[in-house]
Amino acid sequence: MGTRVSNSLSVAPPHKKAPPWLWPLLWGVLLLVSVVAMPIAESLFRWIEPDARQVIYDRAELYVLLGRHLFVVGIAAVVTIIVGVAAGIAVTRRWGGDFLPLVAQLASLGQTFPPVAVLALAVPVLGFGTLPIIVALMLYGLLPIVRNTLAGLQGVEGEIKMAAHAMGMTPTQILRQVELPLAAPVILAGIRTSVTINIATAALGATVGASNLGDPIISGIVNGNMAYVLQGALTIALLALTVDSLFELLQRQLRSRISDS
Amino acid sequence: MSLMDALPSPRLRWDGRHPNIVLVTLSLTMLAAFWLLDVVSMAPNRIVAGTGYGALDAFGWPGALLVTLLLSFIGILASQPSHRHYRALLAAVVVVMALMPVGLMASSYLLIDPEMSQARLGIGAAYWIVLFVLLLCLVELRLRLNLTRIWLTLLLLGVALVWWLCVAFGLERLALVQEFRARDQQFLSAVVQHIKLVGIAVSVSVVLGLALAMLMRRYARLQKSAFAVLNFLQTIPSLALFGLLLAPLAWLAANVPVLSQLGVSGIGTTPALIALIAYSLLPIVRNTYIALEEVSADTLEAAKGMGMRTGQRFWQVRLPLALPVLLEGVRITTVQAIGLTAVAALIGAGGLGTFIFQGLGQAAMDMVLLGALPILMLALVVDAGLGALAEALRPGGTR
Repeated sequence: MGTRVSNSLSVAPPHKKAPPWLWPLLWGVLLLVSVVAMPIAESLFRWIEPDARQVIYDRAELYVLLGRHLFVVGIAAVVTIIVGVAAGIAVTRRWGGDFLPLVAQLASLGQTFPPVAVLALAVPVLGFGTLPIIVALMLYGLLPIVRNTLAGLQGVEGEIKMAAHAMGMTPTQILRQVELPLAAPVILAGIRTSVTINIATAALGATVGASNLGDPIISGIVNGNMAYVLQGALTIALLALTVDSLFELLQRQLRSRISDS
Repeated sequence: MSLMDALPSPRLRWDGRHPNIVLVTLSLTMLAAFWLLDVVSMAPNRIVAGTGYGALDAFGWPGALLVTLLLSFIGILASQPSHRHYRALLAAVVVVMALMPVGLMASSYLLIDPEMSQARLGIGAAYWIVLFVLLLCLVELRLRLNLTRIWLTLLLLGVALVWWLCVAFGLERLALVQEFRARDQQFLSAVVQHIKLVGIAVSVSVVLGLALAMLMRRYARLQKSAFAVLNFLQTIPSLALFGLLLAPLAWLAANVPVLSQLGVSGIGTTPALIALIAYSLLPIVRNTYIALEEVSADTLEAAKGMGMRTGQRFWQVRLPLALPVLLEGVRITTVQAIGLTAVAALIGAGGLGTFIFQGLGQAAMDMVLLGALPILMLALVVDAGLGALAEALRPGGTR
C-alpha cells in the first residue's frame, strides 16, 4: 500500500498540495497520543476543573474504551456492508425486481428516523448492554449502504451492460467485472456515511449501558466534571476524524484507479 | 424522498398469473411474528419487568383466529393481484391498523385483574413488527394503485383518529398511556421546547446559510475553506461536539459575568443551540449553493434579454428556480435537527430527549417510548410536509 501511495504521489502534478495520506496520519497519531498520554495533561485538566477530586477518567483506560468502540462499530460495519450490498444487488437483479420499489422507498424513508430514536426503541426489545447497540447500529447503518448500492448499480448505463452482454459475459461476470467496479465509488460513499453515523450513535450507547468512548462524556455530565467530558469528547472527535479521513483517502484512490483504467 | 413520494415509474404487473411476492412475503412475516413473538406484556406495577404473552393468551382463540384470518386474507389476495384485489388489500390493511388498539383493549380485559390497580399492559414485539410491516404494505400498495398523497394522508388520519378515540376511552391500562397521564403537562412543555429548539436552530442557520452561500458565490476562495470547515464540523459526533462546547461555555459563564447574565451557561440551551446551528449549516449551505449555481445560464440570459436588472434577475428568476432544492436542504436539516435535539437533552436542553434519557436511567421503557415515538412522528411529519411543499413550489406546479 505504501509504494502505491508514493507512486501516485510522484505522478501527481507538481501543484503544491498536502499528500493525501497526511490527514489520516495526523488524526491517527493525535488519536493514539490522546488515548495513551491523557494523564500527562493532568495539570491542564486540573486548571479546567480545580475543585474536582479526580480530573483524569480512570474507570477504564481510554484505549480499552477506544477498542470497545471500534469493536462495536466494526462488527456493525462488516454485517451492514455484507447484508446491504447483497440486498442492493438482489433487488436490482431480474428475479428480485419485485422488491425494488419497496426497498428503495424503505432505504430513503429510513433516513428520516433519528438514530437516537432507533437506539431508544431497540432497548425495550433487546435490553441493556452492548447487544442492543450493535443491533441498532446494524439496522440504522444498513440504509445508507442499501441506498447507495442501489444508486450505484442503477447508475451504470444500460449500454455498457449491453456491450458486456454482447461480448459474451455471463450475468455474474457482468456484475463482478462491470457493474460493481463502476458502482464502487458510490457504494463506498454510502459505507462512509454509515460508519460516520455509527461512530456517533455508538457513543450514545453509553447511556444504555454499553461501555465505550461515550462513557467519560456521560459520567462527566452526570457528575459535573468537565475534564472527563473533554477527554471523552476529544477522543471521539479524533476517532471520527481519523476514520473519515481514511475513507477520504480510499475514495481518492478508487477514483484515480477508475480514471487510470 | 418520503413515505409520501412514489418512485417515478413503479413497475406494474396487472395479469393475475404473477403473484405479488412482496405482499405475500409481508403477510407471511406478519403471521410468523404474530404467532411466534410476544403480543403483549403485563406488569403488576411500573418497576417490575412485565411477563410476555403470546397470541392465544392475549386475544383468546376467537381474537387470534380473526387476526390470523385477516393477515392470511392479505396474503391470499396478493397471490392473485388485480386492480380490484389491490383495493381490497388496501381496505384490509387499513382495517387491521384500525383494529390494533381494539386488540389491546381486548387483552387488557382478558389479562388484567381489575383488583390490581397498578397493573399495566405493555405492547409486545409482535405488535411493533406487525405495525411496521403494515406500513410497508401501505407503501407497496400506494405504488401499485398510484394513490395520491392526499388519499394516503386521509387514510392515515382516519387510522390515527380511531387510535386516539381508543386511547381516550378504554386504554387506560396501557403503560404508554399511563406514563403520559402521569406527566401530561411535562410532556406538552417538552414537545414545545423540542419544536422551539429545532425552529430556532433551523431558522438561524437558514439565514446564516443563505448569507454564507451568497458570500461563497461572490468570493470563490471562500468556498473551499468554508466547505472544509463545515464538513469537519459535520464529521464530529454529536455527543462529542456537545461535550467540547460544554467546557468552554461553562468557563465563560463562570468568569465573564456579563455573559452569564445573558443566559450563557455550560449546561442548557446555549451549547445545544450552538451545536445544532453548527450541524445545520452544512446541508443548508450546500443545497443553497448548488441550487443557486444550477439555475441554467440560458434562462438567466433570457431574463437579461428581457431587460431585467441584476436584483430582479436574482429575486424573480434565480431564487424561485432554486427554491425547491433549497427547501430540500431545509428538509434534511430539520429532520436532522429533530434527532440531534433529542441528544441535546443530555446537556440539559430539555425537549423530548429528556424522557428518553430519564427513562433509560430508571429502566422505565414506557417512558423511553414516550420520548422516542413522538420524535419519530415529528420527523416523519416534518419530512412529509416539507417534501410536499418543495413539490408544490417546483416551477410548473405539482406533478
